Parts: sequence; structure tokens; C-alpha cells
Amino acid sequence: MKHLRLSLLVLLLSGISLSTIAQGDRYTSAMQPHIHTVYTVDTVPSLQNAVNAFERIGAAEKTRWEPHYYAAFGCVMMMNHEQDKLQKDRYLDQAEKALAQATALVPQESEVVALEGFIYMMRLSIDPAARGQKYAALASQTFGRAVALNPENPRALALQAQMQYGMAQFFGSPTTEACATARAAMEKFATFRAVSPLAPQWGQSLAEKLQGACKE
Amino acid sequence: MRLFYTVLLLITLSSALAQTRLTGRVTDRQGNGIPLANVILADTYDGATTDNAGMFAFETFETGTQKLVIRFVGYKDFEQAVILGGKPLVIQATLEEAINELDAVEITAGSFMASDESRRTVLKAIDIATTAGATADIAGALNTLPGTQKVGESGRLFVRGGDGNETKTFIDGMLVLDAYGPAAPNTPSRGRFLPFMFKGTSFSTGGYSAEYGQALSSALVLDSRDKAEMTRTDIGLLSVGGDVAHTQAWERGSIAGKLQYTNIRPYFGLINQEIDWKTPPASWEGVGAFRHQVGKTGMVKVYGNMSRTDFSLYQHDIDNPASRVAYALQNDYRYINGFYKDVLSERWTVRGGAAYTYQRNDAHTGTTATLETEEGIHAKTVFEGTLTDKIELKTGAEVLQRHYRQDIRTADMPTGVRAFDETCAAVFAEADVYTSNRFVTRAGVRGEYNTLTDKTSVDPRVSMAYKTGKVGQVSLAYGIFRQTANNTWVRLQSDLEAEKAEHYILNYQRITGGRTLRVETYYKRYRDLVKYTGTADEPILLNNTGHGYAQGVELFWRDNETVRGVDYWVSYSYLDTRRNYLNYPASSMPAFASRHNASLVVKYFIEPLKSQVGTTYSYTSGRPYDNPNQASFNNGRTPYYSDLSLNWSYLPKPYLIVYLSCTNVLGRDNIFGYTYSDTPGTDGLYNSRPVRQAAPRFLFVGIFLTLSKDRLVNQLPTL
Repeated sequence: MKHLRLSLLVLLLSGISLSTIAQGDRYTSAMQPHIHTVYTVDTVPSLQNAVNAFERIGAAEKTRWEPHYYAAFGCVMMMNHEQDKLQKDRYLDQAEKALAQATALVPQESEVVALEGFIYMMRLSIDPAARGQKYAALASQTFGRAVALNPENPRALALQAQMQYGMAQFFGSPTTEACATARAAMEKFATFRAVSPLAPQWGQSLAEKLQGACKE
Repeated sequence: MRLFYTVLLLITLSSALAQTRLTGRVTDRQGNGIPLANVILADTYDGATTDNAGMFAFETFETGTQKLVIRFVGYKDFEQAVILGGKPLVIQATLEEAINELDAVEITAGSFMASDESRRTVLKAIDIATTAGATADIAGALNTLPGTQKVGESGRLFVRGGDGNETKTFIDGMLVLDAYGPAAPNTPSRGRFLPFMFKGTSFSTGGYSAEYGQALSSALVLDSRDKAEMTRTDIGLLSVGGDVAHTQAWERGSIAGKLQYTNIRPYFGLINQEIDWKTPPASWEGVGAFRHQVGKTGMVKVYGNMSRTDFSLYQHDIDNPASRVAYALQNDYRYINGFYKDVLSERWTVRGGAAYTYQRNDAHTGTTATLETEEGIHAKTVFEGTLTDKIELKTGAEVLQRHYRQDIRTADMPTGVRAFDETCAAVFAEADVYTSNRFVTRAGVRGEYNTLTDKTSVDPRVSMAYKTGKVGQVSLAYGIFRQTANNTWVRLQSDLEAEKAEHYILNYQRITGGRTLRVETYYKRYRDLVKYTGTADEPILLNNTGHGYAQGVELFWRDNETVRGVDYWVSYSYLDTRRNYLNYPASSMPAFASRHNASLVVKYFIEPLKSQVGTTYSYTSGRPYDNPNQASFNNGRTPYYSDLSLNWSYLPKPYLIVYLSCTNVLGRDNIFGYTYSDTPGTDGLYNSRPVRQAAPRFLFVGIFLTLSKDRLVNQLPTL
């Protein structure tokens, strides 16, 4: 399961072209620069600054799930800069706490469920030997649920493909299933149209990389 | 006039449009700036993040009275009302540290935690299952930790100069009367509970919580897993039998059942054994577990197992080996445990349950039949609450009722009956008081009333822990512990006093990344131990005048960081103990004690081979035995014990595991002691026979298959 040691975080983020949909309301314009930060900036202070902003906006906008979603995403990004395992878990605790608020607002949102699975995958990466049993199952199940909620969600598919690929590599079994999922993810990325300027847009390069690995 | 209005209008406008600038500094109580804290003007988008010095500055168009909140992980929220009216505001905020699980000091004196959920533990739950030589036996794995003394012919946990009976097992807080399966005389018994059932194991070698009573030396506290996440079927084909298990999971609960058949007969047919078996052991075992979430926060757990084991063997006379007596045993065992926990309010939780144990041993030696039954019910309720953010309280009550009966039937003799009933009622309370994240004091008290002695007792328990730095901490523990004397004696004289032990423990622990160092020293005093004259079979004048002590130093080092893929731990225990109890003529080191115990456990993951290999080396210095041919008591010393065990797990597919293990690969002929004939020979000397391992090695092969929808899971943690 060491294959799941994910330097893939970097991959997740490269190649994001923020759709610069004309500036809408105050909420959207407050969110956008910080979303840009969690996608592109890689220093902990800047990330924490963005997470703090999401937290403020989320507290003021009681019906919006996006601030909590991006706060959680930002925490996962910060985790990636941390070496200490205890501190890594702390960031994931923060991520889980933030995401729980999004889940409470939109329990059936595929994007939120996919990020939940991503957090499990990161928990697994911290200590694969001890956590494999619990978190591999939990992550796979959660990605499955995210895909079921919205089969068009390319991020849910890309993450599921990554999980399947990691497991297949670990056990030396064929990657057929993982590659099929990665291909499906690529197709969905091609046709994915964000319903709002704040909709999540990351993950395409992960699917690309997986597809590349599949062709080798 | 017009000018006046214009000016007024301008002033009003400008004040309405005026931004208020807020600046300030956020510090901890020591005055150190807190970077990256979130400064929030409540219910607005406005605010800032503090810089490296804890400074912040921002502007807002909001006006009037507003709430300013400053928040950072590990601290309590700082709140202050601010009046915004264009005039710059300077805020000085001091954040109070919050006592939190991740940063707070933990009491580690005497206690080893293995858990996946708590992250600073010395062991993980999986370590219990993957330790070579332990063959998935909880006691076997814990025997590689400091504080234990290897007693090869028993298989039980002997802790710090204590007898095997002085360690008690609790599942979800409920007592298990006999946690070990039956075993032939002088062969190791195995625990009845498989390690994979538990998400957490807390093994305490002393100074444990006031919640746990009726244990003199050690408490093994096992937390069963919560609801299973997925539906699966597990099949195991073993060299000594087979098992099949099925788990059905649904959204709010799960149910699991397992049926296991073990038959060691074909194996013993292949490998020569020290024991003259008539029929080697075979057993059936059924296990069931039910989990269900109740309401938003409640959880009900029911666990039960039942088993039947039988075997028979010939015991040979020491003086005349050709003369033999048949010994046969059939053991029936039932255990059921119901557990409930729920959150009562923001500050209080409740947990409790009831456990029932039934055990029946039907033994035949020659023409004598001995039927022994023991039944026990244990019921307990515990309330846990957070009184303030610095004081946690645990309080509860429990009742343990036991019924014991032994019938001895010999041809042409009246049936002898030995029986007793015990009811032990207890209340306990324990408070954890945090002075800061660095310092905690735990003070507890346990009151017990026992019908056997018709006496009430009050036992104090105190421990403290102090963080000396970021990674190190020192803990202290003290307590008085009591336990009803062994059934062997109480069945003869039911009003024997409880045996008592007093523990003093000092511990230092430091965890840095993947490296753990623990040093512990202790002193334990025994009082009111059972003493008698005569022989163990026919004791005279049973009383409680026995006493003794144990003291020692223990080391533990674990490292899974230095060499990639390699995880190892080393433990060493030094023990100095003497007792004057039972029919000892003088104070002496008991036969189960050993001065030096050391273990090395190594686990290595070979990725290209998809294999995990493990090895365990154990060393125990010679143990005392009494040689009736020598004048002084318990003066003999056995040779040292050593064992090198290996295991290998191969995972060719995510759902398939091939498992191979072998104990004592070097084949050392370990001798645990000597038994002597009852009467001297014509030369005046008593003949002896060594107590040996049943077989030099135990070889085990298993194939484990898991069927599930995801095909990702396997049974590794169960091995």
C-alpha cells in the first residue's frame, strides 16, 4: 500500500485553468481568489490564510457548502506539506471537521462525498500498514458512493481510479479495472461543465497521469 | 443653512462609508505570538490571518457593535465585542490553551496501548496479530513486551512477579472469568479471543484505573470493534482445521458469525510429541457478534462465543514409566457480553453492560471423575463526564456474582463436593485534573463489598504525568489492588481474605516520529497471600499470612523509521521477586518467576514478493524449581529458555493470503522445570522428570480467502 504514498497531490493541481466566468455576486467574488490560492499556492501560510477566509465566509453564509468544501480541501493541501505524522493527522482532523459542515448542508453532493473519500485515502497514506484494512475499504466505498450519486463527476472517478490502481499495483493484479475507470474519468472531464463558477475543477491531471501509466 | 446641511450630510455620509481599521496582536499566555490564527468579524466576510509575530490588521465597512472572534487550533476561541465607528481599534488578544486529546499529556505508567484510533500509541492493533511466535494469540504477542515473564508451559500472562491468575481480561469493560482455553498439563493454553476482534488493546502491568477490580497484577482491557463496514465472507483452511465466517453489514449495524473446527490429531500423527496422547485436542467453536447504532449516538454490541474441546492423554509414573494413568478432559465454555454506550448530553456519556461466563470441566483421571463448573455474571454502568474543560470524571458501579462447584467421584467413595458463591459489589470514581496540556493528575478510589469475607474495602489509586518537553514525559502511579484468593483455596475455605498488592511505578517515555523509548521501574508489595501447611492437594490451616514483593526495571525500544520497510522492537525486563506464600518454608523466588526476560521482534515488508516476514527472538533466564534432594527450598535453576520464531505472510491477491509460521526453528530443547516423584527411591533420592515443550516446534500453514464486493480486503489483520 506504499504505492498510495501520494505525491499525486501535486498532480491534482497542475493544469487547472480557472474558468474566469464573469464576476457575479459578492459571495462569488469573495470566494474566487481564495479558491485560486488553494489550487495554485503551495505554502502553508498562504493556504491557511485561504482556509481562514473560507471559514469566515462559511460562517457568514449559512446555506453555502462551497466555503466548507474548499476549507477542507485547503487543509488536505496543507497536510501535504507536513512531515510529522501527528501533524498530518491534525490537518486531516481539521479537514474532516470543515467537510462535515458541507455534508450537513448537502449530504447528497457527489463532490463533497468524493472529497470525504480523498481524506480517507490521505489517512491511509500516513500509515498504510496499520490503517490499510480500515481506510482502504472506507475510501473505496466512499468513492463508489460519490460516483453513484453523480456518475458524471470526473473527480469521483479519477480518485476511484487512483485507489483501484494503487491496490492493483500493490497486489500485482491487472490494472484493467483501474484503467477503465481512469478512461471514464477522462471522458467526463472532457464533457464536464461547471454548474457554477465555484464548482470544483481539480483532478484532471490525476486522470491523465493514470491514463498515461495505463498505456505504458 | 444650506452649507450646514451640506456639511452635515457629508459628515453622515463619510461616517457611513468610513472604514474601521482593526489591528492587534494574538499571543498565548506566555506572550508568544500565535501565527496563522483566524481573526473573524463574526457573521461577516471580514477578518484576517495573523502573521509570524501574531500581528493582524484589516479594514471593515461594518458599523455598530460587532463580535470579534479569534480562533486557532489547540486554543479556546477568543471573543470580544467591538464598536465600529471609523476610529481605528487596537486589539490585544491572549488565547487560552484548550486541553485536547492530541496535545495533552497521557498517563503511561504501567500501561501499553495498542490502538489504531489513538495515534500516539506504542503499538497498533495489527501488531498484536502479526508478531511471529505469537500465532495470533493476544497473550503471545503481549509476552514480547516488558513487564511480562515468559512461562512457556502455561501460555498465560505472568506480570511482574505475579502469577498467571493475577492478570484479568476485560472486554468492553466486562470481566471475562477465564480468558484462556483448556490445555493439557504443562502445555501452553491459548487465549479464547482472537486479536482481530479488537480495535484497541490496553495492557496494563500495574497502576491501572479504579474501574478495574479483582486483579492483583495486571489488567488486559480489550475494546471490541464497532460496526463492520462491509459484507464479506472469510474462509480459512488451516493445517490444524478450518473456519468460515460471514459478516453482513448494513447502514446502521452489522452481524457476524464464525464457526471454527480445530483438530490437531493429524498434525500430531506426523510430528513426534513429548506427550503420550490418547486423543490429541480437538475443538468446535462458534462466535457471533452483533453491532447496531441506536439513535444518533448510541451503540449496542453483543458478542458471544461457545466452544467444546476434548482430549485425553496418558500420564506416566516417574519412578516406573511403564505404569500409566489415563487423563481425559472435556471443556464446555460459553461467554456472552452485551454492551451499550450513548451520549447523554454535551458533557456526559454512559456505557455499561452485562457479561455471563459459563465453564464446565469434566475430567477423568484413572477411576476418579472431577466435574468442575463455574458461572459468573458481571454487570456494570459507568458515567463519564467533562466537568470543566480541565476536569474529567469517571464514576460507576458494578456487581460480580460467581458460583463455583466441584464434584469429585471416586469408585466406592461418597461424592465430594466443594462449592462457594461470591458476590462482589463495587463503586468507583476517578477524576483526571489537567493543570495544563503538560500536567495531569488522576485520583481515584474504589470501594468494594464482598460476601465471602463480609467486608468492605476502600482502595486508592493515584497517577500523574508531566510532559518534560515536546516528545518526552514522566508518569507516576500508585495504587492498592485486591483479588479474591484462587478458586483452589476458596473452595476449601470460603472466608479467606482477599489477597492484596500495592504498586509504585515510575515511567519515562519519549516518542519521536517512528521511534519510541520507554523506561519503567516499579516496586510491588504483596500482602495477605494464601498460606498453608501440608501439600497442595491436602492443605492444612489455610490462612492469609503470606507476603512478598517484586521490583524491577524495564526497557522498551521500538523503531520503524531508521531502516525502510523494517519495524522492530526490543524489550528487556529485570525482575527481583520473593514470596513467602502457599506452603513455602521460607521466602523464595517462585517457580514462575525469572530474573531476565528479553525479546526482539522484527517485521519486514518485502514489496516485490508481496510478503511480510516476521521474526521473534525471546530469552528467559533460568527459573527456580524445588529439588527435594537438596536441603534448601526452590534452589534449583532450569537452563535458560530461548525461542526463535518465524512467520511469513504472502498476499498473491488482494483477497488471498498464504500464511506460514514456525516456532522454535532452532529446535532448542527448552526445559521449564522438573517434577519429582512423591516418595524417595531405595537410595533415598527422589527421581525427577523434566517438564519439556510438547514438541520442539509448532509448524502452522493456513490459506485465507476473503469474498467481498470490493475484493480489496483480506484477513491479514486476523492473522
